[in-house]
Amino acid sequence: MRVLAAEASKLVSLPSAWIAMAAGVLVPSVIAAITASSALDAISRGAKTAAGVDTGYQELAFGVVGVIVLGVVGVSSEYFTESAESGGGRQITTSLTAVPSRLRLLLAKMSAIAVVSALLAIVAAAATMGAVRVALGEHAPALGAEDIARLAGVVCYWVYTALLACGVTVLTRHGVVPLALLITNTSVVSVTYLLTKITTLANYLPDMAGVRMFIPKLGGDSVEMSPLTGGLVMTAWVTALLPIAAIAFTRRDA
Amino acid sequence: MTTVPAPPVRTRGREAAQALTAELSKLVSLPATWLTAGGALAVNLILTIAFTAAGLRGSTGTKSALDVGLASIGYAQAGFVVLGVLAACSEYTGGQIRTTLTAMPRRALQFTAKQLAVAIVVLPAAAITAASGVMLTAGALGDTATPVTSGHVAGTLSGVTAYLVLTTSISVAVGVLVRQTLAAVVVLLGYLFVAGPLLRDHAAAAKYLPDSAGSAMWFPVAGNSDAVTPAHGALLLTAWTVVLIAVALLGYRRRDM
Repeated sequence: MRVLAAEASKLVSLPSAWIAMAAGVLVPSVIAAITASSALDAISRGAKTAAGVDTGYQELAFGVVGVIVLGVVGVSSEYFTESAESGGGRQITTSLTAVPSRLRLLLAKMSAIAVVSALLAIVAAAATMGAVRVALGEHAPALGAEDIARLAGVVCYWVYTALLACGVTVLTRHGVVPLALLITNTSVVSVTYLLTKITTLANYLPDMAGVRMFIPKLGGDSVEMSPLTGGLVMTAWVTALLPIAAIAFTRRDA
Repeated sequence: MTTVPAPPVRTRGREAAQALTAELSKLVSLPATWLTAGGALAVNLILTIAFTAAGLRGSTGTKSALDVGLASIGYAQAGFVVLGVLAACSEYTGGQIRTTLTAMPRRALQFTAKQLAVAIVVLPAAAITAASGVMLTAGALGDTATPVTSGHVAGTLSGVTAYLVLTTSISVAVGVLVRQTLAAVVVLLGYLFVAGPLLRDHAAAAKYLPDSAGSAMWFPVAGNSDAVTPAHGALLLTAWTVVLIAVALLGYRRRDM
């Protein structure tokens, strides 16, 4: 428990973690507000009768960039080498001196990242849905029991993505490569989405599968996948990657 | 009484040449430069193969070797962004910036030399990346490809190359302003891949932003009279680059190192 508290304290004292959290909340809510107001325009002009059922959810799929940064920076900050004048040290040596059990340290770090990501996802989902409601007014799609499941899917997707980002960074031990790859792939037309045009297998990549937890119908679907299946596929990716990261972390020199 | 010999006088031109040589030498000896440039090329080729495979099946909607071969540049530009940021921010990991500015106290000159050195390295890398993708696609599509004139090919390829070089320049400028590799990468990639494309869909004025204006240089939006033409796109992106370089230079000269 003390290890977890220590990891949480390290995570929330990182300036980049706060930037990541701000991005995670602002990106989906601001974009959702813009989308919703242009949808309201279309409705009042009579071009559309109602806002799409995915309003808000699509934006939350991009907001995941916040937890990507969080997961990457949470790990890569441990490996950041101080300048030579201040000793050229790395935080990981201090962390491992304080918590010699590597597995415990990694577990605590991943738990801290997961908890913060889950909280961030809840805040972001509330902000985004609030923004949609404010912008659309009476035209906003009604929130029902089904939306609770979808929002739970959003939280799940964000936590899993943070864990994947964290696991990849444990392997690379530097933030630039995972950040470049993962942010590039959060794009509107992501690389993995393009891959689904070539092989249907790409639908089972973690992000494509995970998104099904809250957007069951993706444009140009080649494979039908229920939210539950999507969630299970992403869970499989996470449970495959994290042990690899754990083995690498426990067996390699710090 | 002995006379102290006067210190050797360097002309401005010689100082500038030496600064450029120094910056080039630093950049070329940085392994990350070659890794990112090579990585961008490799990723671009892999994605090009994927796009070509889709093109052969007809799911890209176009059979032009140019359009299919350059579709991956939008993703490969991430490598050039990282290269630019690393060139600027590697000065700030450890204390290299202090050595640099002791050797080249005139910051404007040093910054200009760095920008030039990066451009010298990136220009061939960008040209090779763009051309290799198009050649690969043209070879794979063979006779099924939509014919294009060689002038069009040359124009588009130079547009892509110029776009990548200017984007790298912007990345160097942002790197100098932000000074931290990860933060600069997050800002730039977050803009290029998340915020930019989303804004483009919803705000009409977004077509004047550097990413949209820049992509008009090589991927003109057909059938829209309001769209930015390649020449205007080039002008707009150049203007953005100049403004960002000016801001970075101002900050660089006035701030402590």
